Amino acid sequence: MTSSHLTRRRLMQSGAVVAAAAGGWSPAFAEDVRLRVFWWGSKERAERTDKVNALYQQKNPGVTVAGESLGWTDYWPRLATQSAGRNAADLIQMDYRYIFEYARRGGLMALDPFVGKQLALNEFSQAAVDSGKVDGKIYGISLGLNSTAMIYDKTAIEAAGLKVPTWNMSWQEIGDFAVELTKATKKKDYFGIHDGGRYEPALEVFLRQRGRELYNEEGKLGFGEADIGDWFALWDGLRKRGGCATAEVQALEMGEIDTSLLTLGKSAMVLAHSNQLVGFQALSKGKLALSMYPSGGAGAKPGQYLKPSQLMSVYSRTKSPEAAAKLLDFFVNDLEAGRTLGVERGVPASNAVRKAIEPTLDELSKSMADYVAFVSDKVSALPPPPPQGAGEIQLVLRKVNEQIGFNRLSVADGAKQFMAEAKGVLARG
Amino acid sequence: MFLLPWFAGFFGLTLGPAVASLYLSFTDFDLIRDPRWIGAANYVRIATNDPKFAAAMGVTFFYVALAVPLKLCFALAIALVLNRGIAGLPIYRAIFYLPSLLGASVAIAVLWRQLFAGDGLVNKFLAIFGVEGSSWISNPSYSLYTLVALSVWQFGSPMIIFLAGLRQLPKEIYEAASIDGASTQQQFWKITLPMLTPVIFFNGVVQTIDAFKAFTPAFIISGGTGGPIDSTLFYTLYLYQEAFALFRMGYASALAWILVLIIAAFTAFAFLSQRYWVHYGE
Repeated sequence: MTSSHLTRRRLMQSGAVVAAAAGGWSPAFAEDVRLRVFWWGSKERAERTDKVNALYQQKNPGVTVAGESLGWTDYWPRLATQSAGRNAADLIQMDYRYIFEYARRGGLMALDPFVGKQLALNEFSQAAVDSGKVDGKIYGISLGLNSTAMIYDKTAIEAAGLKVPTWNMSWQEIGDFAVELTKATKKKDYFGIHDGGRYEPALEVFLRQRGRELYNEEGKLGFGEADIGDWFALWDGLRKRGGCATAEVQALEMGEIDTSLLTLGKSAMVLAHSNQLVGFQALSKGKLALSMYPSGGAGAKPGQYLKPSQLMSVYSRTKSPEAAAKLLDFFVNDLEAGRTLGVERGVPASNAVRKAIEPTLDELSKSMADYVAFVSDKVSALPPPPPQGAGEIQLVLRKVNEQIGFNRLSVADGAKQFMAEAKGVLARG
Repeated sequence: MFLLPWFAGFFGLTLGPAVASLYLSFTDFDLIRDPRWIGAANYVRIATNDPKFAAAMGVTFFYVALAVPLKLCFALAIALVLNRGIAGLPIYRAIFYLPSLLGASVAIAVLWRQLFAGDGLVNKFLAIFGVEGSSWISNPSYSLYTLVALSVWQFGSPMIIFLAGLRQLPKEIYEAASIDGASTQQQFWKITLPMLTPVIFFNGVVQTIDAFKAFTPAFIISGGTGGPIDSTLFYTLYLYQEAFALFRMGYASALAWILVLIIAAFTAFAFLSQRYWVHYGE
């Protein structure tokens, strides 16, 4: 999906370049710059981003911006291949999980030299700036603020004659609620909540509420066998009581919005991220709403944190670093660009942009912005960065939770096996 | 000179990358930093310390051992029926060949997912007989069988080859056999099958190689995870995960070369075994 339509202006330019080359005075056009932007996301996002690219071209003659986009699953292999071929786009949309992998391997450019020149960050809070740092240097600029969120089908819950969940319900209470919900809806293969046992962000919130971490500063596991055992037991109990999806139904979920049990009409609640509300709503008939993840109960620590929904990074081998930084600045600071992008990538990190777009938001976008504002005093600091191999541990979590779900392992053995496999992965790095 | 495009393609797009991947298999390469020579360490790890390698091998061998014979039997059976000289043969041939054209595509894998899901068409059909089916693709006990079924369904290309083979068989032999009082069954076992062995051999080798390389259906049906519980973790899928999801291109290259060796060994074995069971008409 590219947005490089041939315009008359560009056609004349290329004609001019040919003429210039023939006449031997090409240096006059040395400022002609071609930039590529690469992101993952829905069609909705592609349309909005293409508009911003076109807007930038209009305001900056001599610069061509071409966009490319793919779905999440296809995006990362493509980016890895392009990086290996030394042919990645100039601006690369990054995820908090991958920025460490790419920055530490030298795939991204440190942006500190551009700050205050091409790239203004004075409308960003320190926390927002820090969320794009790797080992003390800025490698990504936050495109939006985000937090984990439980997305629920308000229509379905009310149709079942129940009240929607509130933000301070504990894991136990949400579990009971889910069991009640499954019973009240009386539909085959429909459950109160999906099986979140395999979902790493949910495990992380659960651990932080107990004062543990997924990974500590040394890049080791920040929790023990007892913690993961409690986690698997929580979901195993819910499966047995009928509150969450059976292993067989859960295995249909592939990790993207279009195969989520909520989208497939098989569950009323899913654990997800707040910015995904827009994407989920686009595929759901019922009216959706956000709530916080279940709490750890009395005396527990806050588990959630605000994180960048996406970051924008600059490729380490870009031919025009300054121009790339300038385009990045336009993405995050320009008010018109901000209005075009809306909150589809999360609530903008720049205070000025946030204020400017507030009046233009529709109801759904507003509820998301409100959610982020609501949780911002109920969260704690960003966790330490995930170590190398963290991606593989996600696969281990998913597999062990499935083994327990299909009764191939007991909870206790599952916990043992998870610890052994995860430690093995981290040792390999 | 007319071979030039072929040479360019072979050296540029096949041999070049193959040599590069052989080199990479002896390195630690994360796709972004330059590869670092580590000798045979990747191969040592595969051989001694990789439980997932063994799991992926198990899935793949099971698949090959089940899908290839089933597919060949099915293809031969349909070819025999079509060879009886029914009217409209080209049409049937085209219809039966169609799945093979579509088979490796993403669309069919997605369709398969829908068919064998808990509320899919297969279970709706079973429900007519009062059978309550499982969600076949998302149950680790059955998921691999749905992929075997998908493979068998694509029997078109071996069928066409069998059909061509059947057409070549001299009619006189059958006439002679009929006169001697051989039943149709006897004719099949004593004449058709032995004379068809070169074609069976060819189909067997091609289909085995294909089955070892199967990737798309498993990738789509499990969303690239090889799940549930690694039950569809094909060797190629494992290799893909290592290379593109976990940034271990060096290790993945070593895995790829092991697969090449396995396929080569199977093919060599098949060729060596020919003298015992394949009859070429003299």
